[in-house]
Amino acid sequence: MHAEVKKILIVDDSPKDVELAITALREKNLANEVIVAEDGEEALDYLYRRGSFENYEKGNPAVILLDIKMPKMNGIELLKQIRTDPELQLIPVIMLTSSREEKDLVECYRLGANSYVVKPVDISQFIDSIKAVGQYWAIINVVPVV
Amino acid sequence: MLKKKSVGGQKPVLVLPALNGKQDQLAADLISADKKLAYQKEEKAKRAAELIVANRELVFQNREKEKRADELIIANKELAYQNQEKEKRAKELIIANKELAIQNEEKEKRARELIIANKELEFQNREKEKRADELFMANKELAFQNLEKEKRADELIIANKELLFQIEEKGKRAEELIIAMRELEYQTVEKEKGEVANKELEAFSYSVSHDLRAPLRHIGGFVNLLLRNNSSQLDESGLRYLNIISESYIEMGNLIDALLTFSRLSRAGLQRTRINSNEMVARVLKTFNDETVGRKVEINVADLPDIMGDETLINQVWVNLISNALKYSRKKETAKIDIGGKTEMGTTIFYIRDNGAGFDMKYADKLFGVFQRLHKTRDFEGIGIGLANVNRIVMRHGGTCWAKGEVGKGATFYFSKPAD
Repeated sequence: MHAEVKKILIVDDSPKDVELAITALREKNLANEVIVAEDGEEALDYLYRRGSFENYEKGNPAVILLDIKMPKMNGIELLKQIRTDPELQLIPVIMLTSSREEKDLVECYRLGANSYVVKPVDISQFIDSIKAVGQYWAIINVVPVV
Repeated sequence: MLKKKSVGGQKPVLVLPALNGKQDQLAADLISADKKLAYQKEEKAKRAAELIVANRELVFQNREKEKRADELIIANKELAYQNQEKEKRAKELIIANKELAIQNEEKEKRARELIIANKELEFQNREKEKRADELFMANKELAFQNLEKEKRADELIIANKELLFQIEEKGKRAEELIIAMRELEYQTVEKEKGEVANKELEAFSYSVSHDLRAPLRHIGGFVNLLLRNNSSQLDESGLRYLNIISESYIEMGNLIDALLTFSRLSRAGLQRTRINSNEMVARVLKTFNDETVGRKVEINVADLPDIMGDETLINQVWVNLISNALKYSRKKETAKIDIGGKTEMGTTIFYIRDNGAGFDMKYADKLFGVFQRLHKTRDFEGIGIGLANVNRIVMRHGGTCWAKGEVGKGATFYFSKPAD
């Protein structure tokens, strides 16, 4: 078991979707800390520890759950940014999509997305994706929820 | 002794000497000789007399001959004269002959020339006959051409009138073209507007897939949380309401998916390839094997013509039509489905006939509308998008859809496509 449990970064402008996702994760005892960013810029602020995230603990998240459609910088733009930065480019990115027929999904894969999960986050699908990117054990909560 | 004695030119007589003792013989011989001589004398006298006579005769003859000679001289002279005359005549004849010969030659030459001239004339005759024939023909031809020209003239008059009419028509047509051009300009603007509208539709679809889905997703997500975490706090009717909300959430999700599919069918580009209809229909029928387990289903597929079309979309047409035929015939003891098609006069028409629930022809126009249904969901499940999709796909291939049916007896669905 990993000594250090890494964080999950959820980038989504919908608080309801975020709540549903966090609830699903918690129900399965996954991820003791989830960072939420409401758009691409906020996500970059966290990744570069600047602005309101200046004082957060250093280190990349174990995985980023990234919504495509967001105000200001959207998911695709953020994905491009992450994949071109040597410090960030190895972070696994799982896209959050509204349907399997998402036309942007193809472009996301082209830009280096590792996997996708259809919202609301179905936990078994999520676990499959996490296992696929090799981060399952990294996000298991050390302290079981009572 | 032998002695030759020649008397009066007579032949010598051989006097043989008297042989010894034969003197008598000699004497006899002498007598005979004398006698002979006497005879000879007589003969000579006779002869002399004859000579005289002969002489006289000769004299006479001489005179006769002289007379004859004179006559001959005269005759000779006459002959000489005649000769001369004849010579003269001969010379004249020679000249005349030569003249005649020349004339002959001339005549021969002339004859030859005449033969040649004759031949020439004959040839000319023939030529003239030929020419006459030709002229005759030419005359006929000219007469015919004259008639034709008259006809043509009449036609030209008509054609001229026609041209005048056409010029007028062209004027009209030009005006129409100007109007058409304006119409086209207008249509181009409209088309641009249409493209804008299409983009708006795309944006709309995108919006539907995201924005309409988001609240639905939240309803579903939180209802599920409520059912899982808070169900102990709800009574029976509260739980029933939550289940209804949950079912409606799923139903609305399906409707949104259907609408998105329909919208995608309207926009997606067609990838035209040659489609082997027989193989495609056989493949689609195979996918329904599981659904027909425990049912009696008779499916007859006639030989189907190949078509050019988008394989994925045409496949969808067959899936929807076959699915419908199986669905609406499932209450029959034995479902009978016939599939066929043929290409005729530039159009390929396919049909699929079932002996199922059928429909009332007065609602036929509603069959292909989006979310239009002719059966209760309780009887036959569905949201009413299948035939709308079929219609949209067929229209995008330049064809049309129609159907015939009778309540309780079955339905036949047709779709056409311009042949390739």
